Amino acid sequence: MSENNPTSGVPPQLPPPPSEDGRPLGDDPAERVAILSTTGAIEAMLRQPRRVLFQLRQPAAGQLIGAMLGVAVVCGLIYGVVVGSFSGHAQWWAAPIKISVGLMASALVCLPSLYIFACLSGSQARLSEMFGLLAGLLMLMTLLLLGFAPVAWLFSQSTESVAGMAALHLIFWCVATVFALRFLKAGYSRFHARSSAGLHVWIIIFLLVMLQMTTALRPIVGTADSFLPKEKKFFLGHWMDSIENKAEARVPGR
Amino acid sequence: MSTNSENIAVNDSELAVLLRGDTAPIQLWTRQPTLRRLLLNTMVIIGGAGIYGAAMGWWRAPEQALFAAIKFPVIVLLTTIGNAVLNAMLAPLLGLNITFRQSLSAVLMSFTVAAAILAAFSPLAAFVVWNSPPMTPETVETLTYNFVKLVHVAAIAFAGTAGNVRLYQLLVEIGGTRRVASRVLFAWLAVNLFLGSQLSWILRPFIGAPGLPVAFIRKAALHGNFYENVFQTVQEILNK
Repeated sequence: MSENNPTSGVPPQLPPPPSEDGRPLGDDPAERVAILSTTGAIEAMLRQPRRVLFQLRQPAAGQLIGAMLGVAVVCGLIYGVVVGSFSGHAQWWAAPIKISVGLMASALVCLPSLYIFACLSGSQARLSEMFGLLAGLLMLMTLLLLGFAPVAWLFSQSTESVAGMAALHLIFWCVATVFALRFLKAGYSRFHARSSAGLHVWIIIFLLVMLQMTTALRPIVGTADSFLPKEKKFFLGHWMDSIENKAEARVPGR
Repeated sequence: MSTNSENIAVNDSELAVLLRGDTAPIQLWTRQPTLRRLLLNTMVIIGGAGIYGAAMGWWRAPEQALFAAIKFPVIVLLTTIGNAVLNAMLAPLLGLNITFRQSLSAVLMSFTVAAAILAAFSPLAAFVVWNSPPMTPETVETLTYNFVKLVHVAAIAFAGTAGNVRLYQLLVEIGGTRRVASRVLFAWLAVNLFLGSQLSWILRPFIGAPGLPVAFIRKAALHGNFYENVFQTVQEILNK
């Protein structure tokens, strides 16, 4: 060991493992082309996710991460306007703010535990690389939600049921999340983790946090007197109460 | 052996090495403990356990958060220091020939792993508390109070288990056999749990109770002990 080598006490970084199809990231020259614009980031995420994963591991990934977060915020705001169009009034601005802020807050709350689970699983990922994967997850999730926006808007204009619209938005969110988590898993698998059990536990935690965030920031679909709820509830309790209230409203003679 | 391990600034890669359990560098750090690394491990313990303590105490009151943020790292460090000589004597008696500094370094590193995990879980714990109704005598009777306690127990248990798994792996690497490593780990666990549980009892409360005032420690802190309380609880259950 050389006295001039300040990192001799830290194991050398292993080369990235081959991907599922046997090729290491960056093997294709197209993947090594830097992503320099926001539209480039969107195109790459949808058509060349391996290129995004490769670029996230490069030293100058900060710009790409910033672009992905910016897209996630904007797409979240636009989808929020569609969600708010159901009730109108204050929800025109409250719903977009709550959806964007809620998504970012959920990711921030869960980022440290993602890094910890990755390290405990033997992953070589740095915190910044995990942050990049999470930014990619948020961008893909909100892009897909934006894709569902016209469908959501149509139902918003032709439905009067708050619970029905909430359930529909939840379904769209579920579909978007599945694809977004696929991106995260693809990125995670390239960091030499010995096991993916930690990632699976984290995914459950992340989903629970996002579901709870929708209750903490309610109402997002319906209306209320205040911006945030006065009563604290866990999301399962809120759903049960909503179902019971709807059942009581349907009782004949009421 | 190079002295370059002393020159490595603590950054996330060194903490990541501890969390990943890369035994080669960790064994090097244990065999050649330095004051700088001991101090840095102590800082991680104070920061990580402190921030989680704050998340625990916040439900009762902001003052309780501050008190728990101070007390939680104090318990970890007092347990380590209080048992340092005993742990150093038990290790060679059980077949692991390490020095006092090496045993202290190994125990501190396992607590550093646990504290880092707790720090990462503290936003989640704070999120659970933020979503819970305020702590009142009525809330204590509900599922919410038990759920919050369970979240804290699960997080602390997970962090402690991970820290001890890393410690066990290190002891295997140093001692050469799983049998010796198991004996030393169980002995250290037993003495640390014994002292740690009594320190926790003396320095209670951490989460707090709505019917009792917010306090740094209870007035009757030095009256009775953890094991007496457990014994009395068991007696009450058996007598019902």
